[in-house]
Amino acid sequence: MAVDATQLPHTTATQVEDVGQIPQWQLMVRRFRKSKLSVGGMYVLIVMYAIMLFSDFLAPYEHNRLDSNYAWGPPSQVQIVDGKLSTFALKQTLDTERLQWLYVVDESNPLPIQFFVQGYEYRFLAIFPSKLHLFGVKDGFQINLLGADKDGKDVLSRLLKGSQISLTLGFVGVVISVIIGSIVGTASGYFGGAIDNMIQRVIELLRSFPDIPLFLSLAAALPQNAPVEVRFFLITIIIAVIGWTGLAREVRGKVMSYRNADYTAASVAAGGSHWHIITRHLIPNSLSHIIVVGTLAIPAAIGSETALSFLGLGILPPAVSWGVMVRDAQTIEAITTYPWMLLPVLVLIITVLSFYLLGDGIRDAVDPYA
Amino acid sequence: MLNYIARRLINMIVLLVAVSFIGFFIIQLPPGTILDVQLQKLRQMGGDVPRDQVKALELRYGVNDPFIVKYLKWVQRSAEGDFGTSYLTDQSVGERIWGRLSVSLGLSLFALIFTWLVSIPIGVYSATHRYTTPDYIVTFIQFIGLAVPGFLLALIILIFATRYFNQQVGGINSSEFMDQPMSLAKFMDMVNHLWIAVLVLAFGATAGLTRIMRANLLDVLNMQYIQTARAKGLDEAVVIWKHAVRNAIHPLVMSLGTLLPALVVGETLVAQVLSLPTIGPMYLDALRAEDMYLAGTILVMLSALLLIGNLLADLLLAWVDPRIRLE
Amino acid sequence: MTSQPTTPITTTADDVVRVENLKVNFYTQLGVVRALNGVSFNIPRGKVLGIVGESGCGKSITGMSIMQLVTSVGKTEGGKILFNESAGGNPINILDYERNSPEMRKIRGNNISMIFQEPMSSLNPCYTISNQIEEAIRLHQTNDKVESRNRAIEVLTKVGMPNPDRIADSFPHELSGGMRQRAMIAMALSCTPTLLIADEPTTALDVTTEASILDLMRELQSEIGTSIMFITHNMGVVAQMCDEVAVMYLGRVVERASVDDIFYEPRHPYTIALLQSIPRLGRTKGRLASIEGSVPDPYSRVNGCPFHPRCPVAIKGVCDTILPEETIVDAAKGHTVRCHLYS
Repeated sequence: MAVDATQLPHTTATQVEDVGQIPQWQLMVRRFRKSKLSVGGMYVLIVMYAIMLFSDFLAPYEHNRLDSNYAWGPPSQVQIVDGKLSTFALKQTLDTERLQWLYVVDESNPLPIQFFVQGYEYRFLAIFPSKLHLFGVKDGFQINLLGADKDGKDVLSRLLKGSQISLTLGFVGVVISVIIGSIVGTASGYFGGAIDNMIQRVIELLRSFPDIPLFLSLAAALPQNAPVEVRFFLITIIIAVIGWTGLAREVRGKVMSYRNADYTAASVAAGGSHWHIITRHLIPNSLSHIIVVGTLAIPAAIGSETALSFLGLGILPPAVSWGVMVRDAQTIEAITTYPWMLLPVLVLIITVLSFYLLGDGIRDAVDPYA
Repeated sequence: MLNYIARRLINMIVLLVAVSFIGFFIIQLPPGTILDVQLQKLRQMGGDVPRDQVKALELRYGVNDPFIVKYLKWVQRSAEGDFGTSYLTDQSVGERIWGRLSVSLGLSLFALIFTWLVSIPIGVYSATHRYTTPDYIVTFIQFIGLAVPGFLLALIILIFATRYFNQQVGGINSSEFMDQPMSLAKFMDMVNHLWIAVLVLAFGATAGLTRIMRANLLDVLNMQYIQTARAKGLDEAVVIWKHAVRNAIHPLVMSLGTLLPALVVGETLVAQVLSLPTIGPMYLDALRAEDMYLAGTILVMLSALLLIGNLLADLLLAWVDPRIRLE
Repeated sequence: MTSQPTTPITTTADDVVRVENLKVNFYTQLGVVRALNGVSFNIPRGKVLGIVGESGCGKSITGMSIMQLVTSVGKTEGGKILFNESAGGNPINILDYERNSPEMRKIRGNNISMIFQEPMSSLNPCYTISNQIEEAIRLHQTNDKVESRNRAIEVLTKVGMPNPDRIADSFPHELSGGMRQRAMIAMALSCTPTLLIADEPTTALDVTTEASILDLMRELQSEIGTSIMFITHNMGVVAQMCDEVAVMYLGRVVERASVDDIFYEPRHPYTIALLQSIPRLGRTKGRLASIEGSVPDPYSRVNGCPFHPRCPVAIKGVCDTILPEETIVDAAKGHTVRCHLYS
């Protein structure tokens, strides 16, 4: 019968006008924009990182400046007195019964807030030396917009300074692990055979370690008295060393499936070199997936830093990170009596949440069917 | 099947040997020895330790042995079932670890059961009621669960429990039961102390698994065989619970392998806050005090737990999904 | 053209299903898709009705609507689906029942059953073949485990499964595509339904397997007497399988006739275009005809006859403004068409 092998001409059912005309990444941006929560998370993170860049300028005090007159000092009240934005001096008394410092606002002694004042010296963007700070009060007094800790250190200043470590450490750690994971995963998936086998054995071994104990023991092995920069760097390496294996496995899987795709075969047939095939076909195709996995790994890495610092194995005082600050907030007493000590926790939650929302949105935008 | 398990077990032993070697190496990395830590403590208390006594202690603990000798000594003793004597307390390492590990395992098992019992039904509900208010609420709670660290949650619950319910939550038993033998009253007291720990431990994992369950079920509900099942005239509940859930449950089964050990060690911070006598804080103390026999043994045990968990998960997966062949 | 004998139908024929003016809309994030815009047709008892059309014309949705299996974003906005289980009986309107109501579930799988396009994914990978067939039997026929098992083996034998005992205990992934489709047919026929809806059951199969599955269906149809609604886009399959044909375009039936009339006396320009686009043996010269343009965007509405933008013989001022009504071109054979050329 003649008709057996016949088929109707296939016309594509739906032709949304622009498909095929706008580049893939623009479609992704469109899909991403649809998720309000993810866009919100992105904006929160942009603001946070912007604040981090200006943290020294915004912080009124050096993060370790002690002042026993302000131990457990409450957040400063701000009012307009005589047409000037002012705060007030505090009177400190000791409640001998409960062994607590009590503070009374001295309304007769208003302290006008001064803007663009000279303060401690820092390097703006780690390059330009400066002493300029956004605000302050006259010498001998302190303004603690977000309260002070047990030594009278300004919580706002510490939060700002802490952001320099907390917002970058996890990020850098993930970037390093993404780089290692992508290279190893691509090599493993592309070359296969003995190389793949060897790499997989190494990954299997690394994954046989429960990660938190491994994390702890590596952190415990860090030199105690190294400068902050060195410690920062080493913790980043630890995060990367532990984190890359999962990513390498995922990249390997992706690369393996793309390697068997027709366009790769076509490229091989056309005489494409390994380098050409990897950089032109495999990496671009896996890139979106790598970015998604990376974004979703950052909040976990930030959490790891906090956990380490909380346990006293991560960033150590006198340096400050949000984890170090959370360590000060671990007693019930601190939280119930001085609730502003919980601020670093709040900031941390907002950051981590924003990263999750962002990563979720990117994943949905990149691969709507995943 | 048996062949497969045997091969996996052999592989596991090889991995454990490698883990013990590397782990032991990392653990002894920090400069100084347990003896230094102890001697420093003694000197701080004002006691002076004579030189020859230090020498004798060094000899006894073998602190100056080369790494490989220490390692072999440790392995040899472990193989004989003697996990060594902790430098810290002079107690048998094995005894101390078992006590703590059993508390950890118990807590984690309960947390795991809780996680499954909660995340599967909620994930299913959320997926079958997509874009409704309850679904949004569940999604919101999930994100909170992902973003709020466990120890903080522990802290918050601790505050509420002590402030508003007048309940003692820290530790594992109230002081009056401390030295009593196990009884119903003591058990109830324990339950009273531990439910918060279980809840806190399970919260983060539950949030994660609910998300996974929801996403997978949504995928599975688009499959053709779900329409086939409906076309047979099955009730929607049967379609979902018999045909959809079983296909969506893979990642949950796989998570069993990593979740159990993760819960066991993940409680380190929670235990710190709730002062629970579990393995996490013990490991931490051992690391801090450079008690490498204790730390090394715990690390290897946790690693074994992880590997066994993975094997069990793979076996369970093969049972759930006939397409997976164990080879 | 076709070797199947066709009996002329009469308008008073006893219908298993009569669909009247069925409208289904899909409310998606991008807008409303009018999937079915008033579909009407009937399936005579004991006959095979072919539903033909391009992808997206609503033929699968029509099948799903009869089963009430359209996903929750699809809403039935009007019309009737009258189902008459036995000749001379009282027809019931399926749309009167809730989707998941016990009454509807009693019809599904028992009186009306369905097989799907993808044999690879239409069986649940986690359960054995017999488990899945017995599920339907136990639901509608018997509670007895032994009996349901026996029946499952029996239907498997009937669909020509080699070694039915062994196949019954295998999992879907252990079978080939053709075997799986046989298993699906066995499952669908296990409760001897009055109507079988086959949604492109052979599209995913290779040509030899397709032929044997079609033979099997035809054979079982004449043996059991089940009516079949056969959804396909393949005119060749229509010629081989069907007694009658309904051609669909954009959610409407545009022509309805016996299979001979469709092939030898097509009336609607769309049907004619469809037939011209079939490659034929012996015709070696000239390009294969194709239908100009493409199916319009599903979110927009076309004024007048939905086919007029692509129609080679569209009448200006008429076809682009007025929707043509269903016109009878041959009452004796039940040949109707929706086109201004015949009204």
